[in-house]
Amino acid sequence: MSGDVVRQRHSLAGWWVPLAWLALLLALSLGMGLLEGPLRVIEPDSRDVLYVRASFLALLGQHVMVVGLASLLAVLLGVGGAVAVTRPAGRDFLPLVTQLASIGQTFPPVAVLALAVPALGFGTLPIVVALLLYGLLPIVRNTLAGIQGIDPGVHEAARGMGMTPGQILRQVELPLAAPVILAGVRTSVTINVATAAIGATVGASNLGDPIISGIVNGNTAYVLQGALLIGLLAITVDSAFERLQRRVVRQG
Amino acid sequence: MQQARSKPNAVLLVLMLVGVVAWLTLPAISVAPNRIVPGTPQRAQEALGWGVALLATVPMLGVATLAWRPFTWHLRAALVLVVGLLAAMPLWLSGVAATLEAASRLGLGSALWLLLFLWLLALIELRARLALSRPLGWALLLPVLLAWWVCLMQWLAPLALYREYQVRSDQFVGAIGQHLALVGSAVGAALLLGVCLALAMRRRAGVRRVGFGILNFLQTIPSIALFGLLLAPLAWLASRVEWLAALGVSGIGWAPAWLALLGYSLLPMVRNTFVALEEVDPAVIEAARGMGMSQRQVFLQVRLPLALPVVLEGIRITTVQAIGLTAVAALIGAGGLGTFIFQGLGQAAMDLVLLGALPIIALALMVDALLSALADWLRQGGTT
Repeated sequence: MSGDVVRQRHSLAGWWVPLAWLALLLALSLGMGLLEGPLRVIEPDSRDVLYVRASFLALLGQHVMVVGLASLLAVLLGVGGAVAVTRPAGRDFLPLVTQLASIGQTFPPVAVLALAVPALGFGTLPIVVALLLYGLLPIVRNTLAGIQGIDPGVHEAARGMGMTPGQILRQVELPLAAPVILAGVRTSVTINVATAAIGATVGASNLGDPIISGIVNGNTAYVLQGALLIGLLAITVDSAFERLQRRVVRQG
Repeated sequence: MQQARSKPNAVLLVLMLVGVVAWLTLPAISVAPNRIVPGTPQRAQEALGWGVALLATVPMLGVATLAWRPFTWHLRAALVLVVGLLAAMPLWLSGVAATLEAASRLGLGSALWLLLFLWLLALIELRARLALSRPLGWALLLPVLLAWWVCLMQWLAPLALYREYQVRSDQFVGAIGQHLALVGSAVGAALLLGVCLALAMRRRAGVRRVGFGILNFLQTIPSIALFGLLLAPLAWLASRVEWLAALGVSGIGWAPAWLALLGYSLLPMVRNTFVALEEVDPAVIEAARGMGMSQRQVFLQVRLPLALPVVLEGIRITTVQAIGLTAVAALIGAGGLGTFIFQGLGQAAMDLVLLGALPIIALALMVDALLSALADWLRQGGTT
């Protein structure tokens, strides 16, 4: 019991890297005003060097919400779909889904985003749908790879122990495939953070906004502020996933 | 085996039934009198009447019927029907176009996009079930493309996408050129640099650790942010160093785009080259040494050829990724097909968006197919 507590503390201790990035991200979104001096050096010609149309915290919140929502749906649908096509009832669809997941990843995310707009209009909805669709692919592919990569002997043993198909899925297949699935989720979320920023061009307000308006108005300082925050967000998310992956691998 | 085969193919059944429902219920086209007015959606039966609309469901129901007993020859017949459907779509559109007034613009509605998607899925499914080779699979698309091309040249002038193209045909060709030049030069440079880096990493563990650390970190940064972060330093450099400015380097344009592309391309390139060189079977190397080959000969005649397919895989991943990233680079004025996407989004001209997005997807798919085929070919050459 006490050993468990110690291990818990140990694994918590490893979280300092993502937490440090998160702290930096939040500090910068709150205290961008402190950087006014350096920014003025970069952009001496403009009257405003600080992006003030919306607070950075609100933009960050929007960004995280859109990516979070799309990624959550993508995980549910992706893992669910991949599990469904590896069951006996859905096995007919397995070759098609496998092919689709690999062909789909050739599609550039920007193109998918651009195609969502004619279909769904401007605003946040097409971005969520585009991120969801694109984010599905790595998750489906990795879940399939994870489940199919399990040694058939393990399956046989689980069945021999009298486990039901549901138990095999929950207690054997998913835990064994978890590291691979998590790697897929990581890829998916990383792409989504980046693609969501481009969503600012189709009318979503998020951290891409300062960049787009900076480019349009020729204001490098705006661009820098947006770029810094998006970069920090991406690094925070990625380092958190790295941590998570290590834990899952250790538990497996 | 016979029993397994006579089980209905659920995939084709579902695809075709969804297709029939979509065709009869969703808007197939939209017709606008000019570019400014948004189009009015029309369903298939409203555009050319119930007769033609119902006639079009026959092949789809035919495929579904054939899929009920999926013997090989049933599937072959289904394949012919699906290819026929794909080729018939532009003909149907031509029929619609003939009924329109001269200036009106014809847009594809959700039903047609969905049908295209479903039929292509059916094609992929049939290709997999019939175990057709990759080149044969692509050859199946030839009659379809031919039908689209002939119809576009002859009757489909009102198609809005084609109108957007006609206005900008010169620009379009130029944009494809710019896109390819940017992708090609960045991937080429990444290949040279990546191979050197991979070789250095094989020599020294320190280089490996630091190199992969930096490249992994770089890959995490979203492209739009990296473009933005390169903007200020490059603008500063261009203002200080005259010959750089003379070369056309500035905060916006091709320079930051190219640098960012190079940075993103290095990771997959280095990783694949490194892994490929490492994973050559030690026994093969041993045998080559035993035959009296020098260090250099072993590398050039054994290790490199054996590693080539995996290196090529790296080039494929890198190029496909770069084609997509270059689209984003249009935001910072690097040109290329992404220009149409962002122009179109800015003007709310959706056909212009398509004019950028569709060729980008086509380019990515073509490069992917070509390089995969090349890798397959090299692998076969390596084993025989």
